[in-house]
Parts: sequence; structure tokens; C-alpha cells
Amino acid sequence: MRSRVRAQCSKELLQFRRDRLTLGLAFLLPLLSLLILGFAIRLETKHIPIVVQDLDRSHLSYAFTDRLFATDQFHPSRWRGTDPVAAIDRGSARAAVIIPPDFSRRLKAGKPSSVQVLVDGTDANNARVIRNSFQATTEFFLRDQDLIDATQPVRARIRLWFNPGRKESLYIVPGVYAVVLWIFPSLLAAIAMVREKEKQTILQVYASGIGPGELLLGKGLAYLLVGGAMALVVMGLGSLIFGVGFAGDPTPLLVGTTLYLASAVSFGLLLGARSATQNAAVQGVSLIGFLTALLLSGFIYPVSNIPFPLSLVSAIVPARYFILISRDAYVRGTGWPGVAFDVLVVLVGAVVLFVAARRSLGAMQLDAGAGR
Amino acid sequence: MPKSSPAESGPEPVAWGGAVARGGAVVLQVQGLRRSYGALEAVRGLDFQVEAGEIFGLIGADGAGKTSSFHILAGLLNPTAGTVRVLGLPPRQARSRVGYLTQTFSLYPDLSVVENLRYVAGLRQVASGDFQERRQRLLPLMGLGPFGDRLAGQLSGGMKQKLALCCALIDRPELLLLDEPTTGVDPVSRREFWDVLAQLASEGVTILVATPYLDEAERCHRIALIHEGRIRRRGTPLALKQSLDLTRLELRCRERIRAEALLEQATARDTIVDVQTFGDRLDVLVSDAERGAQEVRELFERQDLALQDLQVTTPTLENVFVTLLRQEGGQPLPLPFPGGGERQRRDGPAIAARSLSRNFGSFQAVRQVDLEVRYGEIFGLLGANGAGKTTTIKMLCGLLEPSAGQVSLAGETSRLRSRELLGRIGYMSQKFTLYDDLSIRQNLAFYAGVYEIPRALRRQRIDWVLASCGLEGQGDMATGQLPGGWKQRVAFGAAVLHDPEVLFLDEPTSGVDPMARRQFWRLINDFARAGTAILVTTHYLEEAEQCNRLCFLVAGQSVIEGTPTEVKGAQPGRLYELLVPPGSTQRAADLLRGRWPSWRVSIFADRLHLVMEDGDRELGEVRQRLAVAGIPIQALRAIPFSLEDAFIGTVQRAAEAGAVAATSP
Repeated sequence: MRSRVRAQCSKELLQFRRDRLTLGLAFLLPLLSLLILGFAIRLETKHIPIVVQDLDRSHLSYAFTDRLFATDQFHPSRWRGTDPVAAIDRGSARAAVIIPPDFSRRLKAGKPSSVQVLVDGTDANNARVIRNSFQATTEFFLRDQDLIDATQPVRARIRLWFNPGRKESLYIVPGVYAVVLWIFPSLLAAIAMVREKEKQTILQVYASGIGPGELLLGKGLAYLLVGGAMALVVMGLGSLIFGVGFAGDPTPLLVGTTLYLASAVSFGLLLGARSATQNAAVQGVSLIGFLTALLLSGFIYPVSNIPFPLSLVSAIVPARYFILISRDAYVRGTGWPGVAFDVLVVLVGAVVLFVAARRSLGAMQLDAGAGR
Repeated sequence: MPKSSPAESGPEPVAWGGAVARGGAVVLQVQGLRRSYGALEAVRGLDFQVEAGEIFGLIGADGAGKTSSFHILAGLLNPTAGTVRVLGLPPRQARSRVGYLTQTFSLYPDLSVVENLRYVAGLRQVASGDFQERRQRLLPLMGLGPFGDRLAGQLSGGMKQKLALCCALIDRPELLLLDEPTTGVDPVSRREFWDVLAQLASEGVTILVATPYLDEAERCHRIALIHEGRIRRRGTPLALKQSLDLTRLELRCRERIRAEALLEQATARDTIVDVQTFGDRLDVLVSDAERGAQEVRELFERQDLALQDLQVTTPTLENVFVTLLRQEGGQPLPLPFPGGGERQRRDGPAIAARSLSRNFGSFQAVRQVDLEVRYGEIFGLLGANGAGKTTTIKMLCGLLEPSAGQVSLAGETSRLRSRELLGRIGYMSQKFTLYDDLSIRQNLAFYAGVYEIPRALRRQRIDWVLASCGLEGQGDMATGQLPGGWKQRVAFGAAVLHDPEVLFLDEPTSGVDPMARRQFWRLINDFARAGTAILVTTHYLEEAEQCNRLCFLVAGQSVIEGTPTEVKGAQPGRLYELLVPPGSTQRAADLLRGRWPSWRVSIFADRLHLVMEDGDRELGEVRQRLAVAGIPIQALRAIPFSLEDAFIGTVQRAAEAGAVAATSP
């Protein structure tokens, strides 16, 4: 048993090393994905172009405008003419602010004044963000200028826990790890499995009398090692480039990553054993991988927003649990008490997928449909 | 096989199994074996048994059920019915004692020779000490000693198969299952491969081998002919040939076409049974040698035909097949090609090349080749893989610019890719692709459209292809469902739909079984008769007998050219067949290889083939050496060289002279 697993494993590693395609899949593409996903995905909107038509031109109206551009959320867009709405029509601005001529006069007189804000509602999500921003900025402006009573009966004092600076990479990068460490190890394992079938070398393997468990263990172990190396490279460079470090006890991440890789590899072996050609296997693994790890895992869209039947699917996606483990290690730092359950779920996933792969190999024989 | 110098005593004898003598225990027993795939019954009741130390050959058409049977015997597939006992056990339980060489290369191209071997040893749980020891012995035995670190993907076809055999042998199997082990392997490696098999058998390993080559069937102790999932004939090659109870006459004459037509008419009478053109000769099967020869002579005289030569000889295994085929009634009759026939015999060469060369960087793929093919002639371009055949063909049809030399094609010397000229040329390659998901008729209609065949002729020609392939009424079948041999004929039909003047066939029958090949050659012969010039490349040397003229390429150079008869006649020395008691064949071979280079000595089942430069003197030495070793000679006769003998002799002599490299890498 052990010698066969070892023979299988070392053969897989040799083949892996020789093939430039698999080497690329193991190191180059994961890094590329890390950079693309890590830099490209920004949930917070910044540098929104807006135009301001200040008809008052007073100290107060200048102060209000300055306040708008004090953060990097808004960015003044140049415009000419008299109608700021034209800038929205042209698409050069997402919002237009019109400060009325009597703005400072009314304020100084203690009367309310209205500032008109026109927001482009095409992108509903963005429009909401812009609207909230304007409200917050306006409130800040009022408090700054002592225009509202500081002795309101109830005030919410908000403090951000875990990520006080609202550093966005802290949210995105640990999620990227989950996506990358699912897709590429499973792709490699699937290719390793289906290639034997496509090239018919599997006949020789069947004839040798090796058992399905031994074959899968050998292949799985090899790609678990490859996956481990991939994880070191991706997580190491990811932490350096995006400046994320461990927030607490890293052992749950260590254990969780190993189990997560094991389930990714088992998933790949399962699909490899079920597909007839390399093409089918690669497409199956990457499509399912991207759909689940990217969309149903809580990487971008909150898991709680996934509607009912799909939420069941989401509940069995290992990436969903690994994201929790990864975010805990890099952001929350609560350690074992916080994520023991998630680690357990990933372990169960690995076992179930491995058993499924083993079953699909059956008695290591050709089935009725294949061969002549 | 290592090329042992005369001083060495050949490879060390290796003891593999327990039993040394043949003809004892039953190693493989198959009874009523059946296997169906849905409605398709691939194996329909096979019965045979193989004894220890025997080489047993399964010979049959593509789709005859050979591969399914091998899968079952290797424990990879469950039979639908019947019992199989391998070494007294069900096949699955006997897996550890069986070596299986699958039809596809079962190697990992990105692993080295030793790594491949080590992997299989690991799977089969060979102890590491044993592995080292066997590796030290097996690799040199197969001539792979110096190539341990080479990647399997960079080995030649012959070396790949030898490595695959090493892998199958690493666990010391008692039974070897070999499924078409030499398909795509060059003749020299093929012969070496069979020498190793003979040695293994003499050491007690039992071998079951499937092969489409009839000369390989001659090297088996017993063979079984499978057709449509059933065994039709079984016995030793000799017994099968004798069972025909016919004599073969080899005729050589000028007007072959007329003579064949004449003899064809005469087959209605009792004595003459069958006539077939074989390159530059006619084979006539007669029920009685004397009366047959008499009848043929009279016939030639009456019709005023000159008979140059008439030899009385024994039937070949090919004749056995053809007779079987006749009884099955599966042989479509030759039909006239619609809309052809207006071709006249043209003068001048159809294809001509003068000192044709092609270099790829510093590598000379083709050097100074001259050839000329006339209209109505079948010209064979022979050579091992990598000898430059495909490069030559590409230059001849204008796909590749020669580095030096001139080409003339159908009278044109320039603009070989012009549209007008392309319409007069036909090309079919080994990889000729019919669309598997289209029906046969749709495929043919597509090519008819591509070749711009006049609408009026299209239907007739497509019907002609179907009829001459024996596929009448089955035109709507999906092409993918056709077995290889049939597909090849349909592909040929597609390549000649536009009635080309010059036809290039690049390895057209690679991997096609003997019966399909015979039918295929009938088609080719019909076209040649109608005046088409045909250039065919092949590494099947027995097939090259079908060519009117041929040339051998070795490392890009033409080493021999002429008719098959001329080529065989030009071989120096003679070929002898020697019969020694069963069981001492290998010993005798080893002994003689100590004196002569090993390629001059090959084992054909119980007999030895010896190539002797100087018959009388060297035979005396053979007799003396065997007598000293106590091996009696039971029979000794001179036999004619086959084309393969001629090829191997030429290559090996050239290698000995150091002129060209013998085999690839």
C-alpha cells in the first residue's frame, strides 16, 4: 500500500516538474490572478467626478465645496456653460451640486437653505453611495461650522473594529486566497487524472492491480504538496504586496489551508475521473470553481444576500468556510474559538469529495461504454 | 537487442519463469468468451488455450474483437459470458502475474526511460533491490542501456515499444499479453523485438500476441484467425498453409494486366483457384501443381503471351486469409470508375525528381534522391520512421521547397501548387480526416464539392465509392462508426473522387488488418490499371510486394531501387531456413550469434532463418558448430529473401560499413 502510493506520488511530481503547462498553472497563473483580483476589485468608490455650480461665491459656499473635496471620494470635473446637468448627460460627471445665490445669507440669518444635488442613478449602487456620502459630508459641514446644536439627546459613536482604517485590501486579499487556492490545485489534479484516461495510460495502471484508493492517494498527495508550495508563494507574496499580516494565531489558517487544498485536489480528481477528455475536465473544473469560489462564497457578495435555493449550494461550498478562516487569520485574529467550526466543515468537505472520487473510479475497470 | 560483435556470445541467458520446456501446463484457458457493448457484440464466443512457453498469435481485422479480448484477459473488463482462467485464476486475481502491453503506447512521454520503469515497478511493488537488478539486465537486452536518462517521448517508435516491453517484464510475468506491439515500428526494430520475444518464450514466458502483420504470424508457434468475434482457423502457421491443400504459382510476365484478366476467366475451371497481382508478379493458386502449371503454360501459349518465369511454391498465410475472405463472401467486386476511362496512357514521367535534397538547419532530411514514376505505375517509397519519406512526398507535391534538385509533376516543373495542377493530383495521408460526425455520404458529397466535380457525375462517383467499399445502402451511417479498415477505403474513395492523374498515398494502410489491406490494394491496382500514377509510402514491407517498383530510403538517401524481384535478387548471399528440435531453437540461435552478427540469425517459431554470404563454406561451419553443441539439424533449405530481409540486410550492411546510421537515434 505505502510503496504504491509513494511510487504514484513521485511519478506525479516528476511529470508535474517536466510539464511547462502545469508549472505555469501552479505558480504563474495563481500569482497573476492574485494581482488582478487584488488590485482590480475595489468595493469602495473613489474619485467620483462631480460638478459644482456655486452661485453664491461666499466664504461659506467655498467652505462647503472644500469640504466635498476634502476626501478623495469626489473629484471636481471641469465643465463649461451654465447648465451643470449637461455634464451628467455627457457622462463626464456622476453628480451635480448647485449652491443657491442666497446660501450664506440664509444660513447667517439662521434659516435653512437647500443645496440641490443631482445624482446619476444609472448605477443604482453607486448612486446610493454618492447620496450617503453627500449626507455625511453635509452633516460634517454643519457641525464644523457650528450650525447645529451639539447637544442632541442621542448620538451614535461609531468605531470600526478589526479594520479601523477601513483598509480594503484586508477584506479582499484573504478572499482572493480562497479563490486562487481552490481553482488551480483542482485544475492540476483534474488534468493529472484525466490525462491518464485520454492517453490510455490508465489501462496499464488498471492492469497493475493498484487499488483506487492508492491511486487517488498517490495523485492527491502529490498535488497537495504542489498546492502547499503554491499557497506559500501566493500568501507570502500577497502579504508583502498588499501589506496584510497575521492578526492572531496562524495555526487555524495552517490547518485550514491544508484541508482546503485537500478538498480542492479531491474535487479535481473527482471531475478528472468523471470526464473523458482534458477539455471537458478543465472546463468543468474552472466553470464550477469560478461560480462557487467567486460568486457563492461571500468573497464579494455577502452570503446573507444569496436567495433561497442558491443559498443551499453556497452552504456546501468549501471556499465559503475557508474565506472565514482566512479573514479571521488576517483581519479578525480571534483564532481557534472563532473558526473551529469552519475548519471542521472544510475537513468534512475534503473527506466527502475524496470518497466520491474513489467511488467514481469503481473497481478500476473499463466500464461498458468504453473501449472496444 | 545489442548488436553483439562476433567475439561476444550474445546476451546472457536470463531465466524468467520456472518452466523451460514448452508444451506443458495450460497457462491461459478461454471458453465461450463473449462481450457485448449494448446491441453490438464484439466478441462472440472465443475458445482457445495457450500452453506455457508458447507464442500464440491472434490475427484478425480491426473490430474483430481482439482488443476487447485482451482487456478481459488482463482483468480490465468483465466478460458478458464465458470463462477465462489465467494461470488457473480469474483474470483480476492473476493481474500481478501478467504483463500487458496495450495497443496505445502506455508510457509517460515526459518521464525518462528509467523513471517510466521505476514507476511501473513501484505500482507492481517490486522490491528495490530486484528492480535495480532487473533494470540492469532488461535495458541492455532491449538495446536501451545507453538511453536510461532519455525522455520516453524522444525515443523512436521501436525503442518506445521495447521500453514498454521492459515495463511489462519488470514484474517477471508468467504471461505476456501484447496487443499489436509493433504497429508503427520500423522493420529493423521489429525484427529485434521479435528476437526478444523468442528468447522470452524459450525461457518459459507464455506470450499471447495480436498482430496485423502476417510475417509476424509466421513467427508464432500457433495462431488463430479471428473474424467478427469468432475464431475461424486455428493451428500452426505451417498447418494452416497446408490445410488449404493448394499450390502457389509465381508467374512473371510482361503483360500482367492482360494475363490476369485471362487467368481470372480461367478460375471458373477446377484447377486454377485464385489469381492476384503482386507488384511485378502474379500469384496463381492451383489445386494441383503439375496440372496447374500445365494449364497456365497452355493458356499463355494459346493467347500468344510470353511467360518469363514460373515458380512452383507453397501458399502464404495471405492466401489462407484470402480464401477465408472468399468463403465469408465479403469481397466487393471491382467496379468501373464512372466518368473515368477517357484517360489515355501518357508518355513521359508522371513524377520525376532529380538530385532532390532538403535540409532543416544542419540536418539533411533528404539527400540527392532521384526517382521517376510513370503513368499506370505503383511506386513504393519505403523506409523506417524518420527516413525522409514524408519530406520527400511534400517536396514532390509542392508543399515544401527543395533545398536543391528539380521536381516535375504531371509535366509541370514550376507552380506545383497551381489550382489547375492541384485538380489533377490526389493526396491521402495516414491522418486523412473524414468528419466522424457526418455520414459517409455527406463526407463524400463534401469532397465532391471541394473538387468541383460536375454535378452529373457526383452521384455516380459517390455510389461507386460506396459500392467498391462494400458499403452499398449504408451511406447514411455515421463515419465515426466505421472500423479503421473501412474508413481507410472511404478516405481513399474521397481522395480519388476527382479522378486524379497522379495519386500520393502517405502510409495509407498503417494499422489496417490483412483482409482490409488486400481489398484496399485491389482498389489501388484498379486505378493504376486505368493509367493513374501512384506513389505510396509504407513501412509494411510485405505490402511493398504490391508495388511495381520501389526504393528504400535510409537516413534520407535512396539505398536500393528496382522492382521487388530485382531488389530481392540484388541481395548478396542466400537465406536458409533451419529446423532444429523444439526447445533448442534459442540455444542454437545464441550459439550462431556468437559467430555471426545477430541480425543474420532470427527465430521463426521452431525454425531459424540464417543469412549467409557464402553459402557452402559458412553452412559447413553452421553444421559443425551445432554438431559440437549436440543440436541436430532436422531440415535445412534455401528460401527466397523477403523484401524485409532485403531491407534489413541493406541497412545492417550499411551500418557495418559505417556509411549511415543503422536505426534512428
